[in-house]
Amino acid sequence: MTPATAGALAEPRPTKADDELIAVRGLERYFPIKQGVLQRVVGHVRAVDGVDLTIRRGETLALVGESGCGKSTLARCVAGLSAPTGGGVYFRGRDIAELQGEDWREYRRNCQIVFQDVFASLNPRQLVKDIVARPLRIHHEASGADVLDRVVELLESVGLGSQHLYRYPHQFSGGQRQRISIARALALRPELLVLDEPTSALDVSVQAQILNLLSDLQQQLSLTYLFITHDLGVVRHMADRIAVMYLGRVFELAETAEVFESPRHPYTEALLAASPDLPEGEGRDAVRLDARMPDAASPPQGCTLHTRCPVVTHACGWEVDDALWWLEQALPAAPADVVRRRSPFEADIEFGDEVTAGAAGVALARAPAAMLAALTFEARGAVLRVEFRNVEPVRLENLGGGRLTSCLLHAPAQRALLVESSTEERSS
Amino acid sequence: MNAQPVAAVDDLRVHFHTSRGVVRAVDGVSFQVNESEVLGLVGETGCGKSVTARSLLRLLPSPPAEYVGGRILFSTPGRGVVDLLTLSDEEIRGIRGDRIAMIFQDPSKALNPAMPVGRQVGEVFLQHRADHLLERAGVGLEELDPVSRGLLSRAAGERSRAPERPLLRLPRLRGRWRRIRAALDESVAQALADTRIPTPLKIMRSYPHELSGGMKQRVMIAQALACDPDLLIADEPTTALDVTIQARILDLIRELQQRRRTAVLYITHDLSLVRRLCDRVTVMYAGRIAERAGTGDVFGRPLHPYTRGLLGAMPARAGRDGRLVAIRGSVSEVLNGDPGCRFAPRCPHAGAVCRRRDPALVAHGEPGHEAACFLHEHLDDVAPGERPSPEPVR
Repeated sequence: MTPATAGALAEPRPTKADDELIAVRGLERYFPIKQGVLQRVVGHVRAVDGVDLTIRRGETLALVGESGCGKSTLARCVAGLSAPTGGGVYFRGRDIAELQGEDWREYRRNCQIVFQDVFASLNPRQLVKDIVARPLRIHHEASGADVLDRVVELLESVGLGSQHLYRYPHQFSGGQRQRISIARALALRPELLVLDEPTSALDVSVQAQILNLLSDLQQQLSLTYLFITHDLGVVRHMADRIAVMYLGRVFELAETAEVFESPRHPYTEALLAASPDLPEGEGRDAVRLDARMPDAASPPQGCTLHTRCPVVTHACGWEVDDALWWLEQALPAAPADVVRRRSPFEADIEFGDEVTAGAAGVALARAPAAMLAALTFEARGAVLRVEFRNVEPVRLENLGGGRLTSCLLHAPAQRALLVESSTEERSS
Repeated sequence: MNAQPVAAVDDLRVHFHTSRGVVRAVDGVSFQVNESEVLGLVGETGCGKSVTARSLLRLLPSPPAEYVGGRILFSTPGRGVVDLLTLSDEEIRGIRGDRIAMIFQDPSKALNPAMPVGRQVGEVFLQHRADHLLERAGVGLEELDPVSRGLLSRAAGERSRAPERPLLRLPRLRGRWRRIRAALDESVAQALADTRIPTPLKIMRSYPHELSGGMKQRVMIAQALACDPDLLIADEPTTALDVTIQARILDLIRELQQRRRTAVLYITHDLSLVRRLCDRVTVMYAGRIAERAGTGDVFGRPLHPYTRGLLGAMPARAGRDGRLVAIRGSVSEVLNGDPGCRFAPRCPHAGAVCRRRDPALVAHGEPGHEAACFLHEHLDDVAPGERPSPEPVR
């Protein structure tokens, strides 16, 4: 199980605690939505929407979030597999988008990726020896008989052996395939390994083997991991720091123990409560997120979680879309005819007749208290005019000690905003 | 609690005939599911848990599958106890989806992509609740002539022949047929609303690809619970879902189960889900039962080395520094009838006797706690050197 020898695979590199390996600054990755015969761009899916992170040498940074939160896209940008549409990824102080020629090869050598789907990420027509030797050949690391020796060495370091050289991927179990994938990633002695849900397709017992292997390799080779997963049990076991992502943004970033002991964001709390394998998960049963996930093409205003947040306040960014959603729930039979928006926070909603508009007003008055507190509305004939308080997008705020959160309830500077707006409300 | 067994599996043996030989996927499994309890069936991929579950509904294609032995006794209110393995195809179809329903692992594969989900839920009512639909629609068949009566009742049961369809538009039948369809829509909407789908009328008309994974799984649950079954089989229903959605689906299954007092057979490889949901647990390994007990006992005092291995592999239990106790190797197919414990090749405790003899399920400690392992037996007839070692050997 334990890799027998790391051998000449790599000499341990010197590590320093706060040594920055990768810096992600203002990273954005928008995917265009194209429509019509001319394939005109009608909008963008904001997969990653302004992320700042640093990955320190020798640490395991976990990216956690639900599917569709942009964690895999962020990982692909870091690995150089996807070009950011804004911001950048900096390696040794240089933007990787500007690296060329030998520098670029140097980066690719130093940053390798292990994918989730072990059935799709290994070429079914190649023998294991070719799969693992491919990076060595491309980077002219070894040639001739040397290659085979190196491949055997790599396979042994992940718990496989020379008897596996002349087999095809389909002859292996899921766990063994993931080992092959890891051996391939290690071939060029990278500094950073991006692990994109490496164990989510595996059984619990096999997952344990792979996680143990990754821990061993990290110690022997001083690897840095960017570990992507949605399983908080795995995160707790593997990670030094955790970044919680939602709709392309980081909501909370902190040391692992801090996140599990005292989460500073309701989204993190909800994730913790939803994890069945955490011993303390039972006490937090009450926190459940509403199931409707917003569209990443038009993320909500203010805090993007406000549409699902269990502890939402009036200052979290209520907007016209929320009012429309509420009306749709309350009056499914009488949809609005026209919605004229002046901003995300102001609109005239036109109904078929005065009676419906009146009914809509009554329905809106029964909206959740937090939404009502931010809302003024009046019915004029068949038109319902709604107006919400304008809210700035929330920022990630430093709580000291490297802890970051974007939640109004936990961030001091933004909490001031909360107090301010509620006093203003009382005076008006 | 003096619970009545709803289904009892007795020495079930299912073999698959393959080109490499006979695979004994299920090899002598017995358990029972009691009224209004959740029984967890746990094991790694390839341990035979899904095959066991599908046997209950006779969903395995045969060949290659063959029910070699055993009985699956199921008590139906009307007909007493029947053996599901000996029923005719028509009889088992009457039970599927009506008395025993199943939720599958991947809702995007289990739902028909070419049909609105409302119709798929409606099918269940049409198949099993045609009389109820007629009643709900207020369509009295007695006042009609025999031909119309036949046409309508066949249409309500979705058994119309193609040429009959246009006849339903005749003035004499049109109004009644419309009322039946309205009653069907109402039933479907009600079933969907029961699974906390916020806008059932809108969701009914959607196709599966328009819905999120969690919503699709809710539709499947609605479909499964439409006829208020006695036994619900859930085959890893949350594996394809996010943790947040998973938590909601688990809440929902638990809530519906408690409200309707349905018995649930919950299949999973994830022991942590078992703790949240199940009353009792059966751990399977390579086609046999390794251990069974109440949920608390399995977590508090696991007996079988395999159960201990599964628990040790849970990352959250180890924390940041501890190593995970992984089980060596992986489940091997049982091709031929080697004697000995199936788990012996991977077991850290295994002694010579484990490779020679089959351990039987024996009760230990708490009532209902059973394990098939020589580690907990007094083997007076076996030399000490051949007994399993109490300390794990690596």
